[in-house]
Amino acid sequence: MVTSLHGRAGKTLLARALVDYFILSGGRLYIFDTDAVERGLHVLFPSAAHVVDLAIVRDQMALFDTLANPSSEMRVVDVAHHSLTKFFELLRNTDFILEAQSHDIIPVIFYIPDGKADSFEAGIVLRDGFPDCRFIVVENDFFKEPKRNVREGSAYKELRAHKQRFVMPKLVEGVVDALEDRNLSISDFMRQPILSSGETLVPSRLPDIPDIGVELRGWVFRIFQEIHRVITGLAPNDGHPNPITGA
Amino acid sequence: MKPVVILVGADKGGVGKTTIARTLLDYLAARNTSARAFDSEFPRGALKRFHPNVTEIVDLETAADQIKVIDTLSSSDVKVSVVDVRAGLLLDTLKTFAEVGFFDLVNAGEFNFILFHVLGPSIASLEEIAEIRPYNDGRDYLLVKNFINETSFFEWNPELRKRYSKLAKEAVEVTITKLNEMAFEHAELAGVPFSAFVANKTMDGQPANNSLVLRGYVRSWMNQVTSEYDRIGLIDRLSDRGVTSRAA
Repeated sequence: MVTSLHGRAGKTLLARALVDYFILSGGRLYIFDTDAVERGLHVLFPSAAHVVDLAIVRDQMALFDTLANPSSEMRVVDVAHHSLTKFFELLRNTDFILEAQSHDIIPVIFYIPDGKADSFEAGIVLRDGFPDCRFIVVENDFFKEPKRNVREGSAYKELRAHKQRFVMPKLVEGVVDALEDRNLSISDFMRQPILSSGETLVPSRLPDIPDIGVELRGWVFRIFQEIHRVITGLAPNDGHPNPITGA
Repeated sequence: MKPVVILVGADKGGVGKTTIARTLLDYLAARNTSARAFDSEFPRGALKRFHPNVTEIVDLETAADQIKVIDTLSSSDVKVSVVDVRAGLLLDTLKTFAEVGFFDLVNAGEFNFILFHVLGPSIASLEEIAEIRPYNDGRDYLLVKNFINETSFFEWNPELRKRYSKLAKEAVEVTITKLNEMAFEHAELAGVPFSAFVANKTMDGQPANNSLVLRGYVRSWMNQVTSEYDRIGLIDRLSDRGVTSRAA
């Protein structure tokens, strides 16, 4: 579950990277986009991502019934900031976590704070409200360091001290442009052979910037490394084997 | 414990009378109180489908079935009898019970009696309250506002609201919040008690395939209903322990 309190925090980018990572891992997955208006994730994965409008009961069922389904797919949900409250209300009311755990599904919250005080406070509320979910604080250095009064707040300090973290690799302008192309599939791009020059065969759709292929590949490697580190570190609580590593 | 009759009735159909009866049976079971039920939607029944093992279909307009209900009150091992009265027959049923001497026995302390009157939003409900009150002097009279379909109960009309307050003075109000329609429909289709639907079980205890989300809606709703029944001290009312709070 990729979440943040406010929009434009980098949720869809992170969700997208997670999806592409799992695609390249050869697994099957369920992909959900809860932003019925912007549909950012759906636009990137039009045939695989389901858009659900959490105001509609039928869509709530499509989302949570599927998420709790005992099957081996990975599940990535881009939780639109405006549906954050509704999403977690449903999570709680359906007793989803209990059901998921009984089917060996591990619920993981990736939370992206931005610079504002309420974003840190919301993170703490979320983390403490769902102690049975793994909670991972995402650092997105796009956000400048918050103002001093925010840094002195307890919520900020607690989130900074939270052990499980995910660092989004720094985005340079060329890579941002490349990623903004909705037709660029990261997984397809990563499957392309690398030339001896270090370049990949540059699809014409990449921005005309020197070494853009190298830059993009580097960024993807870094984020995939980070994903791999975090995902394989998610030890199940109850002694069952880790579904990803089998350990 | 004295035998107790819980009558669940309404002046018209569609107000959720059988739904209320179903919640009662679930609540009593959860509180370890054995209950049996009489479903007077003769011949097909409505309640029996959901609680088949404890429910009998009866035709309360016939003497034979009136006897079946009342005469077995003392002899049955199960002390609590829930009677789901056919829509529109509440007043007639009360008159019949009076005629056969049931209320005399209640007054003499042989039985307890609790009436769940499920209200509709119309004026006819108010008139029915007025007619029913004499049968309920000093007994547990529960006025149930069942919020299906965003109904409002007289709130919008000051004149009706005043009339209702006067009539409802000695009654106890029970508020049942709205249950999402799709959740209700699926629970109905499943044909099991609400508690079984929530537990995702079929009638014979096997795993069912009910929607997690819809189960959540029914669970939250049942929690609200349970707190209401707890709040009015329903279990205490069964055994007459809530005597002093009759006018509460």
